Amino acid sequence: MKASLSWLNQYVSIDMNASDLADTLTMVGLEVDSVTDRYEYLNTVLVGRIVEIVPHPNAQRLTVCKVDTGNRLVPVVCGAPNVKVNMLAPLALPGTQFLDGTVLNKNTIRGETSEGMLCSEVELGLGKDRSGILSLKGSLEVGRKLPQALSLSDPVFEIDLTPNRPDCLCILGIAREIAAIQKTSLAYPDIPVMEAEGEIADHTSVTIEAPDHCPRYAARLLTGIAVAPSPFWLQDRLNSVGLRPINNIVDVTNFVMMETGQPLHAFDFDRLAENRIVVRTAAMGETFTTLDGKDRKLTDEMLMICDGEKPVAVGGVMGGLNSEIEKTSRRVLIESAYFSPPHIRKTARTLGLGTDASHRFERGVDPENTVTALDRAAQLMIEVGGGKLISGVIDAHPKKISRNKVTLSAGRTNRFLGTDLSQKTMAKLLESIEFKVDIEDADTLTVVHPSFRVDVHRPVDLMEEIARLSGYNDIPTTFPPISAGTKLPSRDLDVRDNILRIMTGFGFTEAINYSFMSELSCDKLRLPADDFRRRMVEILNPLTEDQTVMRTSLIPGLLETMHRNASQQVRDLKLFETGKVFINNSLEELPDEVEILAGLWTGLRKPVSWHSAPEDCEYYDIKGVVEGLFQALKIDNVKYSRMPNDLCFYMRPGHTAQVHVNRSAVGWVGEINDQVLKNHDLKQTAFIFELDMSRLSPHMPELQQTRSISKYPAIARDITLIMNIGIESGEVLIKIREFDEALVESIQLFSVFEGGPIPAGKKSVSVRITYRSIKETLQDEAINQLHRDITDRLMRAFQASLPV
Amino acid sequence: MDKSIEDIKDEALKAIDAADDRQAVEAVSTRYIGRKGVITQFLRNLSNLPKEDRPGAGKRANQVKELLQKAITDALSAIDARAAGDIEIDVSLPGRSAQRGYLHPVTQVTHQICDIFRRLGFDIAEGPEVETDYYNFQALNFPKDHPARDMQDTFFVSDTVVLRTHTSPLQIRTMEKYKPPLRIIMPGKVFRCDSDLTHTPMFNQVEGLMVDEHISLGDLKGILTVFVHEMFDEQTGLRFRPSFFPFTEPSAEVDILCVICRGEGCRVCSHSGWLEILGSGMVHPALFENVGYEADRYTGFAFGMGVERIAMLKYGIDDIRKFFENDMRFLGQF
Repeated sequence: MKASLSWLNQYVSIDMNASDLADTLTMVGLEVDSVTDRYEYLNTVLVGRIVEIVPHPNAQRLTVCKVDTGNRLVPVVCGAPNVKVNMLAPLALPGTQFLDGTVLNKNTIRGETSEGMLCSEVELGLGKDRSGILSLKGSLEVGRKLPQALSLSDPVFEIDLTPNRPDCLCILGIAREIAAIQKTSLAYPDIPVMEAEGEIADHTSVTIEAPDHCPRYAARLLTGIAVAPSPFWLQDRLNSVGLRPINNIVDVTNFVMMETGQPLHAFDFDRLAENRIVVRTAAMGETFTTLDGKDRKLTDEMLMICDGEKPVAVGGVMGGLNSEIEKTSRRVLIESAYFSPPHIRKTARTLGLGTDASHRFERGVDPENTVTALDRAAQLMIEVGGGKLISGVIDAHPKKISRNKVTLSAGRTNRFLGTDLSQKTMAKLLESIEFKVDIEDADTLTVVHPSFRVDVHRPVDLMEEIARLSGYNDIPTTFPPISAGTKLPSRDLDVRDNILRIMTGFGFTEAINYSFMSELSCDKLRLPADDFRRRMVEILNPLTEDQTVMRTSLIPGLLETMHRNASQQVRDLKLFETGKVFINNSLEELPDEVEILAGLWTGLRKPVSWHSAPEDCEYYDIKGVVEGLFQALKIDNVKYSRMPNDLCFYMRPGHTAQVHVNRSAVGWVGEINDQVLKNHDLKQTAFIFELDMSRLSPHMPELQQTRSISKYPAIARDITLIMNIGIESGEVLIKIREFDEALVESIQLFSVFEGGPIPAGKKSVSVRITYRSIKETLQDEAINQLHRDITDRLMRAFQASLPV
Repeated sequence: MDKSIEDIKDEALKAIDAADDRQAVEAVSTRYIGRKGVITQFLRNLSNLPKEDRPGAGKRANQVKELLQKAITDALSAIDARAAGDIEIDVSLPGRSAQRGYLHPVTQVTHQICDIFRRLGFDIAEGPEVETDYYNFQALNFPKDHPARDMQDTFFVSDTVVLRTHTSPLQIRTMEKYKPPLRIIMPGKVFRCDSDLTHTPMFNQVEGLMVDEHISLGDLKGILTVFVHEMFDEQTGLRFRPSFFPFTEPSAEVDILCVICRGEGCRVCSHSGWLEILGSGMVHPALFENVGYEADRYTGFAFGMGVERIAMLKYGIDDIRKFFENDMRFLGQF
C-alpha cells in the first residue's frame, strides 16, 4: 500500500517529518518498507536556459535549440511555439521516465540530433498546461535538478500491510492511525447533499441471487456524464500513489477506493441489457472477457455481476469489456458492494487474477461504508464529469454483517501484557481509533469495534490494540518463573548429535541437501519398477524440474554434491548427511519419514603430501568408517555380508556389503555402480554407505557398563587356516566370537593370501588371538590346549586344513 | 727415540678426528694403542732413555694412552649413533595432517540456538516435514481461503497435504501430546516455493513455545532478550513491534540492532539500523481451544526464527543458496 504525505495531509495535519512518521507507523504495526519521493522521476530534468534558436532545416514547425545546463550546451529539437532565447525551461535528459511510462531517448529528428526534451507542465505531470513548454519564473540556478529548483517534494510511504489490517488499505485508514498517535483530529471528506432528479427505482433494479457471496450491493445512477480526461488535481492524486489516470469516471472510482478502501465499479448503463443488475454465480464452464481483454473460464463458485441477459463483471475482481466506460458513455451506474472475502479469494486464485479490488474484498472491506463511498463517488463524478444524479440509492442488503460487543477485563489485560495501565487509559487508547467503549465497573469495559476493523473479535484482539498503541517497547521486560516442566524424550536427538560428532571426528564434512529430488533420480539410480524408493511423494507445484518429488534416498543429493565440487576441481571428498527420506504410504495421509545417515568418500585416502605416494580410497576405507561408527555407538554384533547382485541397483556387485545388526538389516556399504556414476556425469568412483538411523538406536545400550581391566599378562597365539576361496574370510572372526570363550580378549585378522604355495581354489587366512584372564596369569600349557581346541573347531566349521 | 710423546698424542688425536667410519677409527686405534702400536713401541723404547727420565716418561705415555683410548671410544660411539640414524630432521616440512570434518554452519547455528534455550529449561521436539493442512494451517488459526495463507508460499502435495511452511505445526502436535507447563524448542526444515538471494525453497527454522499459568507479553520480551544477548552479545539492543500471525495475538516482530553497523545504518540493514530476526507473540486462544487446553487458565508465548538468516548475519554470508550447494570451499570454513 502506497500513501503520499500530501494526500495524508488532506485528512490529518501531520506534525512529524517523513522519517519520524515512517518509524512511528512501523512501531504501531504498519511496517514502512521504504520512503521515496514521488518527484524522483524528475531528477533527470534540469533547469535549462535556451541560448540559441534556429529553424529546423528540414521541418517547418520545429526549431533546433541550444540549451545551457550550466556545464554544457545541449542540442534539442523543439516543437513548442513559445520558445524564446534566454527563457528558463525544464530540460529532460535521455533516460527520463515520464508518468505515462515512456522513457526519453537520445534521438535524431529529421536529421538533427536532439539530446533532450524541453517539457510542458502536462508532460512533467506538474500541471494542466499543454500549450507550450513550461516557462520557469524567478532566478533559478541553471543546471539544477527540477525537484530541487522548484522545491518539489512529496514523500511516498510504501507500507507492507499484514493481512489483518484491510482498514489501512486506504489513505483515510492510515490517516486515522496517524491521528490516533498524534492525538489530533481526523477530517473525513465532506459529502454535501446532491441535487438530483427522477427516481432510481424507475430506471433500474438490483437482484441478488447469491446472498452468501454478496451480502450487500448498492448502486447509484448518473446521467448526462461527459467522459474525458480527469482534471489535474485528480490525476495528480492518483499519480502520487502510482496509479495511472484513465478517464474521469474510472479515475473517480480509483480515487474513492484509495481514499476510503471501498472498491467501486462504474458500468456504462446503456450497455446493460434491460438496464438492470443481477448478482448470481456463474454457470460451470461459462466464459467471460474481462477488462484486460482475456477470456476467462468460469466455475459455479464464482460470483458474476450480470445485466438482464449476461455477465458484465466478475464480482469483486474485474469488470467486463462488454460494459466498460467508453468516451461515448452518457449514463453511469456505480456499484459499491460488500462481497464475501473467502469467495472473492477463491475466485481470484482460480482465475489467477489479483486486482486492487480483489485484494481489498478478500481481506474484508468496511461493510458499513458501502453507501458512503458510493455517495462520495457520485459527488466527485458530477464534479469532474458534469451530469446529474438520479434520486435515490439502491441498497440491496440481504445479509447483515453484525458487530458484537466484547467484554474486556482491565486486570486481565494488565496481567496478560505485563503492564500497569489504568482502565481509563485503555479506554482512551481504544477510543482514539474509533472503538466504542463503555465502562461497566471498576474492571470491566464493554467494547464495540468500528465496522472497518474486521479483524477484532476477542478480548485478546483488544489487548493487542492497547499494547500496540501504548507501545510494545514500553512494556516492562520480565522473566517467567521456570517451573518443572514436562520432560520430552530426547534419545533420537542424542543419537543424531553423537553421530554428528563421530563423523566429523572421522574427518567427514556434513552436507545438507534439499529434501527434494528429480523424479528421474530413481532412473538414474537404476531402481527397479517395484522398488520402495519409487513410492515418491510428488509436489504439485514444484519450482524447478529437479525438485519435483520428495527424496526417497540421500544418494542423489550426495552424488550431485560430488559433481558440483568436481566441477570446481575439488575431487577429494569425505561427506556425510543425516536427513529424512519420504516414502509414500498409501494407507496413511502422510508419507513415512525415515531418518537416514549416508556417507560418501571419493578421491584420495589422505591429502597429497611428501610422506607417501598418493593413494585412492577403497572399499576397506569406507567400511572402516562404518565399523568405527558402530564401535563408537557401542553397537556390537554387526555383520557384513556380500550384497546379492540382484540388489545391487546402484551399488557395484561384489564390492558391496549389507550391514546387519543382531540379524536385522540396517543398511549397506560399498562402491557406486559404474553406470550410476555415468548417469550422474561423474568420472571418478565413489564409496558410500547408508544406514537407517531409526534402526540403530534400539541396538544401543541404554546404560554403558565398563568391563574390569585385568592386571595379568596377555598371551597371543596365531592360527593360519587353509580354506576354500568361496568362504568369506570375515566368517572366521564371527565364528571365533560365537565360541564365546571367556579367555579370548581380542581377535585380529592379519593376513589373507592366495596363490602358490597355497593350492588353487584355496586361500590362507591368518588370525591372531590374544588370551588373557581376569583372575590369574595364564599358563602356557592351558593356553596351548585352548588354542588347539579353537583351531580344531575352526577347521571343522570351515573344512579347513593347516598349512603343511 | 724419533718423536716425543706429545707429538704422538697430537698426531693420534688428529687421526681420530679425521677417521669418519668405524674401520678408520679402529685402524687408528691399532696403529697407536694396539699391541704393536706406537705407544707400546714407545714404552718398549723407554730403556733407551736416561734412567732418571724413565719414570716420568713412562707415566706420561700411559696417560696419553688412556686419553687416546677415551677419544677412540667417543669417536666410535659417535659413529654408531650416526649409523643408528640419529641425524637431525627438517622440522619445517608439513606434518601428516590429522583431518577433521566440518559440521554444516546451519547445524552449528541450530545447536547454538537450541543450547541457549536448553539452558533456560526448554526441551526439544521434532515432527514431520510433510504435513497436513490441518496442522500446518487450520489448527494454527489460518482458515481456508484466508489471505493470511498468502504470507507463506506453499508447496502442495494434495488438497490436504503440504510441505510444512513453518515449524509451527509442532506447537499443535506437542500441545496435543503433553499438558502444561510446557517449554519446547522445535528445530527443523521448512519449505516455501521461493528462490532468490535471500530465499531457498527449503530452509531451517527454530520454533519456541512456552505455556503455563500467568505467562505475559513482558515474559516473552524477557526470554527473547536473554536469547539475543546470548546469541549475539549483551550490547545487541532489540525492539518489539506489532505484527500479525494468525496463531499469535498480540504478535510481535523482533528487530535487533544491526550487528554490522550497530544501528548507524548500512547495506545489510538497508540503512534502517535494525535487522528483523524473529517473529513472536502470545499464543492465540484459538490454538488452546483446538488442542483442548483451558483457554481461561493458560497463557503462553511462541516465537520462530530462520536459522540461515541468523547464520548469514553471524558469518557475513550474502547468498542463502550457498548453504545448500555444499561446496567444500564454503563448508571448510566453519
